[in-house]
Amino acid sequence: MVLKQVLLGFKYLFKRPYTRMYPYKEKAYITSKTRARHILRMDLCVGCRACQLACPADAIKMYKIEGDFPKNRLKIFPGIDYSRCTYCGLCVEACPTNALVMTNYTMEHLITEDKSTTLYTPQMLSIPPEGEYEITLSKDTWHPPPQPPPKKSK
Amino acid sequence: MSGKSITVFLGPQHPGAPGNVAFKLLVDGERVLDIELIPGFLHRGFEKMMEYRRWDMDLVMSPRICVEDPDHVELTFTHALEQIYGIEPPEKAKYLRVIIAEFSRLASHLLWLMHFAGPIAARYAVSWAIAAREEVLKWFDYITGHRIYHHYIFPGGVRWDIPKDFREYTLKVVKRIKPLIKDIEKGFFKHPVFIKRARDLGRLKASDAIRLGATGPTLRGSGVAYDLRKALKYDAYGEIDFEIPKGEYGDSYDRAMVRLREMYISLEIIEQAVKKMPLEGPYRWRLPISIPQGEGIGRVESARGEFIAHIVSAPKNPMGKPLSPYRIKFRGPTMAHLTTVLKHIVVHEEITVADLPVLIGSFDPCPPDIDR
Repeated sequence: MVLKQVLLGFKYLFKRPYTRMYPYKEKAYITSKTRARHILRMDLCVGCRACQLACPADAIKMYKIEGDFPKNRLKIFPGIDYSRCTYCGLCVEACPTNALVMTNYTMEHLITEDKSTTLYTPQMLSIPPEGEYEITLSKDTWHPPPQPPPKKSK
Repeated sequence: MSGKSITVFLGPQHPGAPGNVAFKLLVDGERVLDIELIPGFLHRGFEKMMEYRRWDMDLVMSPRICVEDPDHVELTFTHALEQIYGIEPPEKAKYLRVIIAEFSRLASHLLWLMHFAGPIAARYAVSWAIAAREEVLKWFDYITGHRIYHHYIFPGGVRWDIPKDFREYTLKVVKRIKPLIKDIEKGFFKHPVFIKRARDLGRLKASDAIRLGATGPTLRGSGVAYDLRKALKYDAYGEIDFEIPKGEYGDSYDRAMVRLREMYISLEIIEQAVKKMPLEGPYRWRLPISIPQGEGIGRVESARGEFIAHIVSAPKNPMGKPLSPYRIKFRGPTMAHLTTVLKHIVVHEEITVADLPVLIGSFDPCPPDIDR
């Protein structure tokens, strides 16, 4: 009676394992919609702190950076602590100038033995990752067009 | 019976415990005479934290209340907020919510085999189920952007639009999962060891189930065909034709079979919803950040039972506008199952220590929603 189940088990014995040997042998499973590392476009950022106020995990802090930024009078830019970030994308939705975008690149900012390396300053965020990536969340790709407010239900 | 009873603790580090909860057992030899739940190992203070954050931040936090079935918590919260705003989501979003909720139910039921097949020592069923769940998680990653916590269902619709190949891709995933669940059915649910272990274990009469606050598959396993999807017809469930499975005797076997049947029904609902869903049109209404004053209650049929969110919206100071909720209360299904229902069964039936993990597993407990 149990023979049926044993035979069925043999089928699974020769199947390819689902386990991914992440991170050293294989890369993480990503799609064209995966939300992962941010990129900060410092020339577009106006330093309004909307991303900091929108962050539910309190992962974003503003840093003062010296330099020539005509749009950003206060010269403050967001830096993200990736040990706190939940990748919800609320900061990207809150950004009024499309300065903060999300990519599907997920590698060295998460895989670390030293927790201090997960803190990304604005300059680090502004450098695009070295590997392959595509922008998965920004005002251009995902944000909903403004809709008229719906009528009130009964 | 020797007449000498001792107190034994099961959990929170015990492999037979369903997560971070402990049980205090009064045992006499092998027999369990009494059981008491000890919660509190996972208390994170969500309800209080949510009072100090805006509602959109709360929505991102809410799925963490039940790790295994996160989308139904998002859905309850969203329903309650939409009641306060007084809006209806667009048609497309209603169908998308149904599809997301059913995939979440499917993923949760597949993960439940870990609690249930594990104590019966059928580890193979667990790994097959995890493999089938992986297909669901990949679907979630492609549609919502994340695997476990999706942050996808939002007041006023869903957060982002669907990809162009949504219909074909979803039907392909459903087609891929069906044979995997059939294999689990043949390999585990028809296995003589499973039938012998689960039959007549933990019988719960229909009248007792209603009286003790059981909901979801536990209630339906006892023979009460009550499902909020049919009773309230929230979102697009009114447009979809599906049956409610129910058990006969109310034992662990019936509860397990109800869940297995629900997995197939979830796939049928997804197929119907994908075919009926309008692919064009708006998917989200834009809502103001400040929430109107009022009260809202959201009720959904989650994978484990009824999930309720009650939100009171009022300004923190008399001059201000309400940006964050004044008070939030969640009701999860697991608390009733692991306290009143479990105690009732243990007191009225001869349960041994070896059978206890199987019995607890048959309720599909989710410890995070006890503590919140």
